[in-house]
Amino acid sequence: MDERPVSPALKIAAGLMFLFLLAPLLVVLPISFSGDDFMAFPPSSWSVKWYGAIFANSVMMNAFWISLALAFVVTVLSLGIGLPAAYALVRLKPPGAEALSNLFSAPLLLPTIVLGLALLLVFAPMGLIGSFQGLVAAHLIVTLPYAVRVLSTALANLPLTVEEAAGMLGARPLTVFFRVTLPMMRSGLVSTTALCFLVSFDEVVLSLFMTGPRLQTLPVAMYNHVDQQADPMAAAISVLLVVLTLAVVLVVDRTAGLTRTFVK
Amino acid sequence: MTSLTLCHAEPRRLGPLGTASALLLPIAVVNAIGFLWPVVNLLKMSFREAQASGALGAGYNLDTWTNALTDSFTLELITNSVGVSLLITVLTLIASYPIALYLHRSTGTWRTVLMVLVVAPLLTSAVVRTYGWIAILSDRGLVANALMALGMAEPPRLMFNLTGVVIGLTEILMPYMILALLSGFGRLDPRLEEAALTLGASPLKTFWRVVLPLTAPGMALGGLLCFVLAISSFVTPKLLGGGRVFLLATEIYDQAIVTLNWPLAAALSMIVLVVFGISLTLYARALRRIA
Amino acid sequence: MIHAEPAEMTRLAQGQGFLSLRGLTRRYDHFTAVDDLNLDVAKGELVAFLGPSGCGKTTSLRMIAGLVPASSGHIVVDGRDLTGVAPYKRDMGLVFQSYALFPHMDIARNVAFGLEMRKVPKAEAAQRVKEAIAMVRLTGREHHRPAQLSGGQQQRVALARALVVRPSILLLDEPLSNLDAKLRDEMRTEIRDIQKRLGITAIFVTHDQMEALTICDKVVVMNHGRLEQVGTPHEIYEHPKTAFVAGFVGRINRLSGRASGGVAQVAGITVSAPGFEGDVDVMVRPHRMVLSTGPAPADAGLHQLSGTVTRATFAGDILEYEVEAAGTLLKTEASTRGGEALLAPGTPVTLSWRPQDTFVYAAS
Ligand SMILES: Nc1ncnc2c1ncn2[C@@H]1O[C@H](COP(=O)(O)OP(=O)(O)OP(=O)(O)O)[C@@H](O)[C@H]1O
Ligand SMILES: [Mg+2]
Repeated sequence: MDERPVSPALKIAAGLMFLFLLAPLLVVLPISFSGDDFMAFPPSSWSVKWYGAIFANSVMMNAFWISLALAFVVTVLSLGIGLPAAYALVRLKPPGAEALSNLFSAPLLLPTIVLGLALLLVFAPMGLIGSFQGLVAAHLIVTLPYAVRVLSTALANLPLTVEEAAGMLGARPLTVFFRVTLPMMRSGLVSTTALCFLVSFDEVVLSLFMTGPRLQTLPVAMYNHVDQQADPMAAAISVLLVVLTLAVVLVVDRTAGLTRTFVK
Repeated sequence: MTSLTLCHAEPRRLGPLGTASALLLPIAVVNAIGFLWPVVNLLKMSFREAQASGALGAGYNLDTWTNALTDSFTLELITNSVGVSLLITVLTLIASYPIALYLHRSTGTWRTVLMVLVVAPLLTSAVVRTYGWIAILSDRGLVANALMALGMAEPPRLMFNLTGVVIGLTEILMPYMILALLSGFGRLDPRLEEAALTLGASPLKTFWRVVLPLTAPGMALGGLLCFVLAISSFVTPKLLGGGRVFLLATEIYDQAIVTLNWPLAAALSMIVLVVFGISLTLYARALRRIA
Repeated sequence: MIHAEPAEMTRLAQGQGFLSLRGLTRRYDHFTAVDDLNLDVAKGELVAFLGPSGCGKTTSLRMIAGLVPASSGHIVVDGRDLTGVAPYKRDMGLVFQSYALFPHMDIARNVAFGLEMRKVPKAEAAQRVKEAIAMVRLTGREHHRPAQLSGGQQQRVALARALVVRPSILLLDEPLSNLDAKLRDEMRTEIRDIQKRLGITAIFVTHDQMEALTICDKVVVMNHGRLEQVGTPHEIYEHPKTAFVAGFVGRINRLSGRASGGVAQVAGITVSAPGFEGDVDVMVRPHRMVLSTGPAPADAGLHQLSGTVTRATFAGDILEYEVEAAGTLLKTEASTRGGEALLAPGTPVTLSWRPQDTFVYAAS
């Protein structure tokens, strides 16, 4: 396809807006290498001491491990609950499948601030605030709709005849699912895993309602840290988080790319 | 020769409907406990008796609602939130449109690179991006230092006020707007534009009469998305506003966590939901008018 | 698993076929894709389903396979009613129109899948997979993925995968549609041989009448979801029961006429039309019309029409002519034995054919 000429005015406007869009991420990188004790831009000296500071900061390190464990558990549960649900909605099509599917995506429509409050009000009397289980439940409410959506789409895009062919060859429904359906859904499964993991790992608002003083996720710890003092350590953590996100995206792209080579 | 036995006896199994129900049970439980019940409970909470101590009374009444809807602070909160969100939506649209149009016209690897640049911020935590804005807007940040280097003695305050919140949120919501616009640009056939140009319309006129109307559905979708996200955003107003900017979302959090006035927090949440409903209706109407 | 009432069971058992379809019907909302299909297929028989696109061939096959529930009617195999039995318990093989290979498995594992499900011992399975792959001429491609094969190669894998398990009934949905003429010929014979050797009962869906006529024991012609005619290839070709069958199987010339008193007047000649009254369509196959120049061969037993050549085409084995006679364009052909000159347009000619090659149908 040949390039369509783009007017210089549009190029300049788009360039400036891109600069604006990327500005916060662009300034964070140099600040993370600041040698100053406080945040200033540009920094007056350079060092990697703030990266070291993260690993010496027990609050941040604890929060990191909690976020990691939380994202892991939430992702596993989302797949474990979302996959059967997607299968039932797409392949078994019970009466009212459409309505059910809408109901299961509804939590995404609710602003997280409202959902967070709603969960706080029911979880508090149950003693779930400040507990790992409470956090898992809260995150699951928002990751599950994503999981069901992505997995449903992946499933709906599979040619049904391939599964039928397996049935004709004598495979029972469960065998068909594990030997044919699941392997063909590989790229959908990878995307779902990545999406649930990132959503849970980055989630702030729900976590702010659910965490107590002794149990903080990394975004909550960062939020509290930035709220009190915006020192360059937050920049160093931000850079690490961006790198982590990029790594996840890269893995997904590689896997999806690999998948494309053998799924037509 | 091996063959499958025809019609051999099977233990009683679930029918397709039974299987579907069994597979849907877990998500139904999560949805009921984590969504339906809390939302119904939230509505009920807004009618609970609030006592000065922060404790809840046993009975139900309309006090919270009547207080909220007659209190000038709450009313200002609502109008402020709606106004600021509308402003942010318009600014996001203006900032995103050139990027989306440029993306729509670029091809190949270059387009992929630009798409990654648009989506990457979407995948980074709002805390990280807000922190970036603090680095740019604070007293010792990029803008202030640049202005001082240019000789300005007292650069304007860009943080801990509405300006900072608006700038930060505009940027944070841009990826959503760009993606919504792009989804609507599918109808924008380059040949249409070329046709208009060959018919003698100036480039500006072509944009105004052909490009803009065709991209209206994308703008409506992006507008809805940004408005809804702006009015419910919490982290950015809190951090960039520094407790000096009062919006619905921040107030809900404060009432729930700091003041412990749960009925009021619940009532404010319901107001947010009402605003949501209204904007959805307006969107549906706008879409019908465009179509 | 037998759903039929006792009285009905005896009726079902009376079908002579190994595979019997009884009033098989499939409705979609207000559209009937397959309408009251009745058919008996004997054990080891190869039956062709022939019909235009969208006439319900695939739907019939899928109902037999159990992939689509029948709206009404029964499928009986060996005296047992299979209505409602899950596909994986039917011991049928199906070659899909769209191949439906497993994209994540290589060719060998695709072919081995059915044997694995039947728990065939490893060594035997490996041997059978090897043979099946050799049969479809894909030896050496065992470890390719489906996406790395051409459409025709994928189609052959689908065939090998279905045949290797030696199902009691084999259903083939246009299994050769993507092959070139030579390979199609080979595979057709190969399918026929294997099917006969193993005594598999098979249904072969095709668009291609040549295919249906040459390899099948019986041909089923369908149109708009209904069965038009069942018969041996010879019966279908020589005695088409309906105008549709006459027109669909083989080429045909159509003339309009009027019938009364057991004969029909058409283009100035009289043909026998017992039992017809009013408007009729008279049909004759092009190559049964013999074209001659000069004075017409004086044979009182033949039907004859005079006309002029309007178009002449050299087509290699044959010469094709279009002749205008009595206001109708008729096609005919002459075989070339060498040396014949193509007749120029405008040449006056006579067309002659035997009365038994004349088909008469009520006008549609
Ligand atoms: N799921 C469905 N819903 C509605 N109509 C359907 C469905 N499946 C098939 N049909 C209709 O039933 C008719 C028969 O379809 P079928 O696939 O059996 O045709 P076919 O004879 O196999 O055609 P082809 O030779 O093109 O493969 C078609 O008109 C089709 O549109
Ligand atoms: Mg078909």
